[in-house]
Amino acid sequence: MVVWTVVFVSAYTLAVWNNYALFTYHAALYELVLGVDKAKDGPAMYWYGWIATSAIAAGLAGLAACWLPESLTRRIWSGWAWLVPLASILFFAWLLRGYFLR
Amino acid sequence: MGGGVTTALLLVHGVLAAALLGAITHQAASVWWPARKPASSFLGRFRSVAAPAYANAVVVLYLLMVVLGSTIYPEYRISIRVVLEELQLRAANGSFELKEHFATIGLGILPTYWWFWRQSVSGADATTRGILTAILAFIVWWNFLAGHIVNNIRGFGS
Repeated sequence: MVVWTVVFVSAYTLAVWNNYALFTYHAALYELVLGVDKAKDGPAMYWYGWIATSAIAAGLAGLAACWLPESLTRRIWSGWAWLVPLASILFFAWLLRGYFLR
Repeated sequence: MGGGVTTALLLVHGVLAAALLGAITHQAASVWWPARKPASSFLGRFRSVAAPAYANAVVVLYLLMVVLGSTIYPEYRISIRVVLEELQLRAANGSFELKEHFATIGLGILPTYWWFWRQSVSGADATTRGILTAILAFIVWWNFLAGHIVNNIRGFGS
């Protein structure tokens, strides 16, 4: 579970930062396009695609963690489960600071 | 999606948000500010709830919130965000942008949060459980307030 949280949140942060959306949703056109697509008529929504990218990454990492011996997984510090999300929250606050500081 | 359906879903979203806010705030208060003796005051009773009992409700309500929120989100992007930009309401716009990201971070936290609440933990794991609950409470409060601010600016009937 700790692995899921760490990888999901890290992957989501990276996906937003570099726009690694698995798909793009053109809301005004009700159109779904694989990968990152530019805005057409109305906004291009990447949020769903970022979540899909992160869920796949976290799912694969979680499966990989299941294969690891328990002696190894027990050594994983549970604190990563809150430290990484906390860092991500602070990162997004920094990333979007322009909305509040100008 | 029709405007009536969106409004109905937004109403349900708002009602469930209040329930989620209550559940996670009760739980976070009982973890970080536990009542030491049988409580008689309102605040004391608020803090002295059985925290583990809230975990399942929080998970279910949070998932419902994400599903409903992501269903009505396109309408926000098409009809509301444009207006916020035109009115140069940058702080309100930014608050909602953060809401989107915080909601996803909460989604990532949720399985671990649930896993730590379904067993008795101690030491570092108890600290982790407490901090996860606090982060989730922060996210729920932020998203509740950001959603309400935007709704007050450009919500029902506008």
